Amino acid sequence: MYVYDPIDQQLVDERVAQFSDQTRRFLAGQLTEDEFRTLRLQNGLYIQRHAPMLRVAIPYGMLAARQLRTLAHIARTWDRGYGHFSTRQNMQFNWPRLEDVPTILAELAKVQMHAIQTSGNCIRNTTTDHYAGIAPDELVNPLVWCEIIRQWSTLHPEFAFLPRKFKIAVSGAIEDRAAVGVHDIGLQAVERDGTLGFRVWIGGGLGRTPMVGHLINPFVEWQHLLTYLQAALRVYNLHGRRDNKYKARIKILVKDLTPEVYAQQVDEEWQRIKGGPDTLTQAFVDTIAGRFTWPQYDPAAAGDADDTEARAATDPSFAHWLRRNVRAHKVPGYAAVTVSLKATGVPPGDISADQMDAVADLSERYGFGELRVSHEQNLILADVRRSCLYELWQELRALNLATANIGLLTNIISCPGGDFCALANAVSIPVAEAIQRRFDDLDYLFEIGELDLNISGCINACGHHHVGHIGILGVDKAGEEWYQVTIGGRQNGAAKPLPDLESTRGGGAAIGRIIGPSFARDTVPLVVDRLIQTYLRLRDSEAERFIDVVDRVGIDPFKQDVYADPEVAKPVQPREAVHA
Amino acid sequence: MPDTAPHLIRDGRLQADDWRVYTPAEDAPDAPPADEPGWIVPLATWKAAAATLRARRHPVGVLVPPNADLADLAGPDDTLETTGIALIAIDFPAYTDGRGYSLAQLLRNRYGYQGELRAVGDVMIDTIHYQARVGFDSFLVKPGHDPQQALTALRSFSVHYQKAYLVPA
Repeated sequence: MYVYDPIDQQLVDERVAQFSDQTRRFLAGQLTEDEFRTLRLQNGLYIQRHAPMLRVAIPYGMLAARQLRTLAHIARTWDRGYGHFSTRQNMQFNWPRLEDVPTILAELAKVQMHAIQTSGNCIRNTTTDHYAGIAPDELVNPLVWCEIIRQWSTLHPEFAFLPRKFKIAVSGAIEDRAAVGVHDIGLQAVERDGTLGFRVWIGGGLGRTPMVGHLINPFVEWQHLLTYLQAALRVYNLHGRRDNKYKARIKILVKDLTPEVYAQQVDEEWQRIKGGPDTLTQAFVDTIAGRFTWPQYDPAAAGDADDTEARAATDPSFAHWLRRNVRAHKVPGYAAVTVSLKATGVPPGDISADQMDAVADLSERYGFGELRVSHEQNLILADVRRSCLYELWQELRALNLATANIGLLTNIISCPGGDFCALANAVSIPVAEAIQRRFDDLDYLFEIGELDLNISGCINACGHHHVGHIGILGVDKAGEEWYQVTIGGRQNGAAKPLPDLESTRGGGAAIGRIIGPSFARDTVPLVVDRLIQTYLRLRDSEAERFIDVVDRVGIDPFKQDVYADPEVAKPVQPREAVHA
Repeated sequence: MPDTAPHLIRDGRLQADDWRVYTPAEDAPDAPPADEPGWIVPLATWKAAAATLRARRHPVGVLVPPNADLADLAGPDDTLETTGIALIAIDFPAYTDGRGYSLAQLLRNRYGYQGELRAVGDVMIDTIHYQARVGFDSFLVKPGHDPQQALTALRSFSVHYQKAYLVPA
């Protein structure tokens, strides 16, 4: 866990003071609504359907037990007793009062947290692999690099008012779990001749115009990472479109210029500033790494008496959980445990204040008090001794946090949707719940195997529907809620190994394809069921996942089966323009 | 009560602004203003009449719009000849348009401009700190924003992460 030094703390404290003053001036009529809007957004504050929504940054998804307790305290004191983990590894509170927000921010600052740049047209919270620092397949620990980027991007004076929001993701592992291909900038650690560097993917993103990023630079040496980012952002800041917010993301600039020309402009700018003051030194990287408290693993853990396998052999529920929610750890004797926030009937990513406190306790009792938030909206207990898994599972089960569905269909990624969000065209949470109810048979769920199902309530795609193996998008037609279904999306690598440098697809990500006209809300679970049946019929073995079958046979067999079903076909909708 | 207090921050203090923006006549868009003190001319006017303006007794300010191509101001090889230029003003038509920040960086670093660099337009208490960091050293605070508070806000933050940018004094 990164621990603030006095400078980090002072900066966050000064930000709280600045925002308190801005809020005071707004409430006193000295700042207009328009003037205040961007200022509050850059402090994570939206005005939503029912109330303001406050988005708290959880930098690169790394969370300490005491921070989670503060979030619980905030949820109880200024909200309605719960919070929502977003797909950006952040936490959202849906019911704070504007007047209380400066106090909440001050409370967060006490535990080295903030809401800086969680919204607005600026560089947002940098995200990474939710197994960062503990994954066995890591080339480099991305946490250190994320912190370096967090600092560099925090209150960046040149890039506070970009054409549009800007998201950076970092992957340090062989398997890309950070979805570098669908970010404005995706950084993938690579080694060349013994030197660390980054592959730089630019121009990916979801939203209205989903695109997979382009490999703009195959290798930027680590020393030059920040000056390269500065050059990439400067070209965007100067030349990105500002006349149309739907064409303002960097992906449009890269497309309009062509990736080659954009890359060349960035390089020209980079050559002028390369080697300048923001060049990184080993001493600086070591200093940042040195401010992290790293877990002191017990070498004896590998030799623990461990009855996990024996328990699993006699307790199928535990065995299911072990198989789905527990992952290998880089240190022998330890495991990473995913706390599922996807129990049926609970909005995906929601967690109550009591659960937060309980999970904070568990992270200390069964680890080093460190957690990760995943972009799949779950929590991860990072360092659990394998010998304690059964005991931990029992505790999680009592908290309704042990649903054995990680990687399965009911681990639905969903935005808050029309129940909360002012932008949404349609609800998402009730759709997620209806699907979870239809697939509540765990054996069936396991038989279906790995499947990412993502739901967004509107084209802004906060639920990442484009990269779901099955994606569901809420659309509005004449005031009614309809749902468009895509299949074949993925956030990272294909089953087949891609050629080195994956020159055509950023990190192996792919955008799903629409199967046809959209569906009425109550039909959606049935449509999912039909897709699953087609998959089960076509797969060549249990090892062939849903996404692999779509890759192999295309979308047509799925489409035909779905639309041939009389139950599905009831109200036929005209085909609408998509991904416009 | 009309707001008569000075709104210009320059040299770290509030002072009266004796510059005004020249608007060319519609039928003579390239014609420069008279040779008088205190004119800020649009970049287009400067581009059309630079030779004339440089030879004059009274230097002018040049008003740079956010979509400017700085090559219009500079010579070949990224050089910037400042004869006849008293100040460069970068316009912020809306404070959310951040191009002026990058233009300021380019003027200061790529073109080596060391003269007065003024932020004009939608310049707020809340933007002035960032503007100072990218190289502005004078600020015309927008109406309705207390210039005294803006002066204080120059030092909104006493600590910074980005090493390549200035620390407001």
